[in-house]
Amino acid sequence: MNMFTRNDKSFDTTAGSMTPARDKTDTSAAPLAEAKRTQAPAATPTTYEVATPQTRVVSVISKALKITGQLESTEDIQVDGEVDGDVRGVSVKIGSNAKVKGTVYGDSVELAGTIDGKIEAKKVVLTSTAHMSGDVIHQDIKIESGAYIDGHCKPEYGKAANKNAHATAKPATTTSSAPVKTGSVAEFGQRV
Amino acid sequence: MPALSQIALAQVPLGHNGAEISASHLGKALTVKGRLETTGIVHVDGHVHGQITADRLVIGAGGYVEGDVVANDVRIGGRFTGRIYARHVTLDGSADITGRIFHHTVTVAKGARIDGRMPWRPLNFFERLEHLREAQ
Repeated sequence: MNMFTRNDKSFDTTAGSMTPARDKTDTSAAPLAEAKRTQAPAATPTTYEVATPQTRVVSVISKALKITGQLESTEDIQVDGEVDGDVRGVSVKIGSNAKVKGTVYGDSVELAGTIDGKIEAKKVVLTSTAHMSGDVIHQDIKIESGAYIDGHCKPEYGKAANKNAHATAKPATTTSSAPVKTGSVAEFGQRV
Repeated sequence: MPALSQIALAQVPLGHNGAEISASHLGKALTVKGRLETTGIVHVDGHVHGQITADRLVIGAGGYVEGDVVANDVRIGGRFTGRIYARHVTLDGSADITGRIFHHTVTVAKGARIDGRMPWRPLNFFERLEHLREAQ
């Protein structure tokens, strides 16, 4: 504190006639510094936001695109359009206005649109706008309120290959999500 | 179907609808077997075996398309086997093409490899294309 006050005083005393000019520079410098401060954090999130979809979503089937046939990828797929056929990817996202007629395979599948067929994935998320007609074969499932399911949910994904490994490791995690899962499945089972 | 001809009359192949135009991107790990239909842009960096109908098709340097293409505007930097029906065709230096290119205007960069014919057609040929395509 002492140092700052002393500096201020010395400035004032050394150049009394130049104070207006210096005030101008100070005032102009202060907004600049502020602007820099505001720009810096603003710039980093925007670049971050731009970078994430490009790196995460590799292939995009836009809403105007209709594909009749198979899609196969070793990377992520985002479907916003219409697919009449099977979709295979690592992380597959079916957008809210998308329609898929066929089986969707993946490590993780997030459904916000419509699937008329089957889902086979390790991790499945059905959001509130999801419309699923067909079975869901999963290992780990999340169903949000509002999602529509007409079919069976079976925790049989990779059963043959991973049977021994998950018999010991899985129970702890499955029991935590089991009440919701079994309840919803039972409801849908009764409805169906 | 009328949309394609309207676009041609306007002579604005890209972004004629502004925000409404939809761009699809097929990444390099993606393989599609079948038919693709869109009124927007398709960018192919992966493999497509089948027919593509689009306003604008771009095949990236690593992309490969085998089949028929009907589009307003086509740009190729990768490999292509089949037939192209497009009003405006641009072939980059990295293009490798086997087949026919039915076009009204064409641009070929130095280095492009073309094995096939490049027949010129009047604009009204492309307006009738939709019917031809459906008949095939």
